[in-house]
Amino acid sequence: MSDTSLFIRKATGLVRSWSVFDAFVYAFFSINLVTLGLYIFSQMYYLQGGLVPTMVISSLFILFEVVIYAAMIAVMPRSGGDYIWQSRVLGGGVGFVLAVTGWWFILWLWVPLYADMLRKSVFIPILGILGSQQTASWFQTADGFFVTSLIMLALVAIYIAIGMKWYARVQKICFWGGMAGMLFVLVLLLTGSHEAFKAGLETNATTLFGAQPGVYDATIAAGQAAGATLPLTGGAIGVIFLAMPYIVFFNLWPNWGATLYGEVRGATDFKRNFWGMALALIGTALLGILLLYSIARTIGWDFYINANGAFWNYTWGYTTTPAPLPIWPYPALLATFLTTNRAIQLIVVLLMSLWWFGWSGTVFLSSTRVIFAAAFDRLLPEKVAEVEPRTRTPLWALVLMVVPSILVAYLYAYNKFNFQTLTLDSTLVIAVTYLGTTIAAILLPYVKKDLYNASPIAKYKFLGIPLVTIAGVIFGAFLVFLLVEWLFDPWLNSNGQPPGLYGISLMNKSSVIFMAVNYILALAIYLGFKYYRKSKGIDIDKVHKEIPVE
Amino acid sequence: MTTIFFATDVHGSDICWKKFINAGKFYEADVLILGGDMTGKAIVPIIGLGGGRHRAVLLEQEFLLEGEAEVDAMARKIKSRGYYPYLLTQEELAELNKAPEKVHELFLQEALKTAGGWMDYASEKLAGTGMRVFVAPGNDDQFELDDVLRKSEAVTLAEGQVIELDSHHEMISSGWSNHTPWHTYREETEDQLAARYEPMIAQLKNPKNAIFNIHVPPYASNLDEAPELDEHLRPKYAGNALKPVGSTAVRAAIEKRQPLLGLHGHIHEGRGSSRIGRTLCINPGSMYEQGTLLGALVKLGKDKIENYVLTQG
Repeated sequence: MSDTSLFIRKATGLVRSWSVFDAFVYAFFSINLVTLGLYIFSQMYYLQGGLVPTMVISSLFILFEVVIYAAMIAVMPRSGGDYIWQSRVLGGGVGFVLAVTGWWFILWLWVPLYADMLRKSVFIPILGILGSQQTASWFQTADGFFVTSLIMLALVAIYIAIGMKWYARVQKICFWGGMAGMLFVLVLLLTGSHEAFKAGLETNATTLFGAQPGVYDATIAAGQAAGATLPLTGGAIGVIFLAMPYIVFFNLWPNWGATLYGEVRGATDFKRNFWGMALALIGTALLGILLLYSIARTIGWDFYINANGAFWNYTWGYTTTPAPLPIWPYPALLATFLTTNRAIQLIVVLLMSLWWFGWSGTVFLSSTRVIFAAAFDRLLPEKVAEVEPRTRTPLWALVLMVVPSILVAYLYAYNKFNFQTLTLDSTLVIAVTYLGTTIAAILLPYVKKDLYNASPIAKYKFLGIPLVTIAGVIFGAFLVFLLVEWLFDPWLNSNGQPPGLYGISLMNKSSVIFMAVNYILALAIYLGFKYYRKSKGIDIDKVHKEIPVE
Repeated sequence: MTTIFFATDVHGSDICWKKFINAGKFYEADVLILGGDMTGKAIVPIIGLGGGRHRAVLLEQEFLLEGEAEVDAMARKIKSRGYYPYLLTQEELAELNKAPEKVHELFLQEALKTAGGWMDYASEKLAGTGMRVFVAPGNDDQFELDDVLRKSEAVTLAEGQVIELDSHHEMISSGWSNHTPWHTYREETEDQLAARYEPMIAQLKNPKNAIFNIHVPPYASNLDEAPELDEHLRPKYAGNALKPVGSTAVRAAIEKRQPLLGLHGHIHEGRGSSRIGRTLCINPGSMYEQGTLLGALVKLGKDKIENYVLTQG
């Protein structure tokens, strides 16, 4: 094989470029409009920044994250991601602490969140449609929540056991099935009328879920009492920015799992990585806008936001009066109320459930990688990287992921120590990890000159400044803004009165303690193993140091 | 007891080779072992345009070079990524484009020239240190490379040999692999691989204290996970679908003989360690294009591994 610029011989590993569409599919599921998106939109009911401009502007900032990650993959491919990038540029201790907190420990908190989405968008709607109203109601209880967390953990364990080879296939099927479900929902919403929806809601909500007659008007009133204000569009730039620390729970993740980069490749692979992630971000934003407008057209924005306000106001304990609509206002389910055909309702909800099944299997994927990488660096016992030979399952790594998750899921499901206020900690801790990588990206061209100059991204400059540095400064500023807002929220936004807008400020003792435990545990493991290995003759500091070439 | 430093798959990277030779001093190792695949995968032509001007395209970026100093700097840059720089005229380039067999000859010529330079570097740096260096060429290495290694004073060709590392530990080595989609130089069937290992294993005084330095990792060891490819060698599912591609013969040999240590490479993204019974198997992986030497430092004890760590130099 040859051209005028390069001759390549037959050699192992020289593969052709992967499909950008495939990369798009996995990034598209990571910023999952149906699970993460609809879940967090519903909690934003009391904010004043328009949901559409908030989604668009936050996506613009996150495009710079895409530049950073595509660039870091191009400079240090096949290296294990954030852990190695940060270790090489910022040092092993920083890399370890930020990687294990952001890619492992905080995933314990994501387990009840995934489970909450599973019961709200899969179990409860399906059980209701099938006529099992009592069982559906039980899943709304704390016991039902906790059991869903256990089911979710069992499913994830199965995914890990079957391996990514098979789960990648499952994801692809889920993508097409989920998109078919989305098409059904959009068709129902775009062909139905608001009056038909009102009638369908009255019939279906009372029949399937035990709502009282007059549920539409009662919901509007309960939502207004809860202070539901979130507009679809509009809002001053200030209030739009205040909505961003919430919405990034959904769209901060186009980089999740994108680490592929071919050998003997140039800028093409950088562009492929960039477009795989960027198209997912842009495509999700466009689909989100279409879905939100469809909701506004037929369900009515007023009803949708008030239903969310009424639901969460009761769920979070701000009122003792249950929401008139006794289930989470899941737009896909609400769209099926436009028909009385149970089979169609069931098919649509089942297809839409594929958005959850195609996405949930990756919850511990990153954790497994980080646990293995830390074990190979001798910062965890060798045993945790062992794979059970018969099933090829990483049993000990699974234990380290699952057992703490059961505890966290218990605390969250039963709201012990106000754990349900910690939702956005799930995003904050990963944002801190991303900030570490962002700082590494800013510094890379200056502290690892040889590595950077020999990479395919060295040619990308603006006014003589490396693109990766510029992208790092912009995205870093965005992350710092998010962190300041999350941590100092009441002082900045509600006259010092907790809980503020996001609930996880330094005034929230549970949040502070939870995060402190995460970071102290990571630091203790690092220092403990570092000194233990030193006593056995292994200098961990040397592991990431460059060998001098004399 | 002996401390070994193992690295693999440097694929023509000058920086990685130099780091490998200097790793003994840096990590305080007694023995250096390179697991194979020394030779580069690409040649980057530096095309003379006349008047001291040259043109080269590296990583899809075009460089116009003025004068000898810029050409030398570009050649170093190309070598640092493991590719071979080659100066030629536009006419010679046109001829090469028409004759694939000449490109093949050129690869061999550049691989041998580079390897010769590496042997000289090793001799110079290791003279008087007592450091022992063993290399077993891998499936990507042409057979002619073996002669270059045989002539070296500082480096020992380990392929097919039983080598005594110290009074307790012996090592067998092979760079051959099972069949790959690329049909490289040293590939054969699993049965042939098994037949290749057996005579070496038979010579071991104590297989349980031995080191199996075998380029291809054992099948389904987690050290052999590579992206699943379609018939056009395109990664399926954006590279998210991984599958084991290691050797069943290597796995069977390890399961049966239970040596102390298995040293492997071949799959660059398969970095890690894994146990097969009592045997510790290591694949340090490779990041040769970035000039990062991935390696493994292993302290051998009597009848056991005292300690080990994977490194990124």
